[in-house]
Amino acid sequence: MTRRLLALHGVLVLAFLCLPIAVVIPMSFSSASSLEFPPPGLSLRWYDSFFGDARWVAALVNSALVALASSTAALLLGGIAAYGLVRGTFRGRPLIEGIFIAPLVVPSVIVAVALYIAFAQAGLLGTMPGLVVAHTVLGVPYVVLVMSVAIRSFDPRIEQVALSLGASTATMVRRVLLPNLLPSVFAAWIFAFITSFDEVIVTHFIAGRFDTVPKRMFNELVLQVNPTITAIATLLIAVSFVAIALILWLLRRGGVRLAALT
Amino acid sequence: MAGRRLPAELGYVLPLLGLMLAAFVLPIGLMLARSVLNPGPPPEPTLEHYQALLETAVYLRVLGRTFRIALVTTVACALLGYPLAYWMRGLPPQRQVLAVALVVLPFWISILVRTYAWIVVLGNAGLVNRLLLDLGLVAAPVAFLYNETGVIIGTTNVLLPFLVLPLFAAMLRIDPRLLQAAESLGASRFTVFRRVFFPLSLPALAAGAILVFILTFGFYITPAILGGGRVPMVANALDLLINQFARWEAAAALSTILLVVTLVCFALSRWVGARGATS
Repeated sequence: MTRRLLALHGVLVLAFLCLPIAVVIPMSFSSASSLEFPPPGLSLRWYDSFFGDARWVAALVNSALVALASSTAALLLGGIAAYGLVRGTFRGRPLIEGIFIAPLVVPSVIVAVALYIAFAQAGLLGTMPGLVVAHTVLGVPYVVLVMSVAIRSFDPRIEQVALSLGASTATMVRRVLLPNLLPSVFAAWIFAFITSFDEVIVTHFIAGRFDTVPKRMFNELVLQVNPTITAIATLLIAVSFVAIALILWLLRRGGVRLAALT
Repeated sequence: MAGRRLPAELGYVLPLLGLMLAAFVLPIGLMLARSVLNPGPPPEPTLEHYQALLETAVYLRVLGRTFRIALVTTVACALLGYPLAYWMRGLPPQRQVLAVALVVLPFWISILVRTYAWIVVLGNAGLVNRLLLDLGLVAAPVAFLYNETGVIIGTTNVLLPFLVLPLFAAMLRIDPRLLQAAESLGASRFTVFRRVFFPLSLPALAAGAILVFILTFGFYITPAILGGGRVPMVANALDLLINQFARWEAAAALSTILLVVTLVCFALSRWVGARGATS
């Protein structure tokens, strides 16, 4: 009896968790302009209205550019820093690591307020470079976490062998280290990309008139209910699915178990 | 060897450290400073911004509401999440993987999308109200949206995985031999749960609950959309102070309060979690 109640509770809570996804995807193919569920008929009109609207397409391009630039910057700086943190023996490492992970702990809205005030004085509000810097900071914790785990699990003696056989540091990194870490490098990059691509709060504060897809979605949602959002939402879900599948596949290839990251 | 390695590896860390100091530590430091300084010139230390916040009924109401919503959401997540994690622990492996996948799935989908769906589900002509009307349980649509109920439902939905996943992982680590030992000594199922299993899972439950509390306390998107501007929480008040009224000092002081609450709770959850790991 208890067991059945427990199972019923479990299934219902799982349903509660997945309900939003189960609702949004069918809605995006609805033919009605009201928020009727289930949809009275099927159509692709909301996808048309997304791709046919120059402002949405511009926002999509901005989102992609910012995400590409910030995730690449986070990957380069974060990957190299993770190597220094894992292999180094200098003092103050826990503090430095703490600073790198801190954007995960500090509420986004605080980062948003702090950056708004700082950027306002530096003249970076509403600019692409300002947005890229902010998104890079937000992506750094994921890169440092993923890359630290990967580098820690790579035997430093292999690096030393390459160096003692006469390889320069650059050659060792290119021919020995990177090929072995490649799956984790991609996973870290995707994490940072998605973090930027989904970011709402900091963007809302500092982007000014510069539009990204989540910022535009947020503004539309606060003002009115527009079914075009369901089409974008479904596209975002599709992007997320592809990203998770890639990350899982890459991490498994890299021999990193997801449990090691948490 | 160590003497030569030391500067090189520090050098790898420096570029990122420079960025983080300039674009994260410094802005937050300046914001903290702004909350306790008079604009000047010359800037002088003062507590007037905090005093002004705590003497204004609106901010006290916002803080009180944020605290209440965070508390209710935390309790709701614990009540929904604990039995779910416990049930998942007992599932056969394949179903367990499926259940974990369903818990992780929403994690990956934009909070905007998940929040949006609740407008469709909870609206006056939404799924829930149509069901209630069709069943004759209510005569008029129930207002779920644009009040605290809607915000709490949406927030619970978004934050539940943060409680369930670590809790489930901690439950898997509980040695089943301890439960068998208790049973073989004559304890009933319920006694085994109450005296052995529950105490062992309590630190993970507490740590997860504190995490949910922290996240709700700084929540912005869900209250903005499902509250429709009628349920402002701390983060929404910050939005108004910065983007509407340009009151940077007040925003800095309110942010500092939010940061202190967050860091104290975070330290608390680390402490609780560490106790669980050692006991």
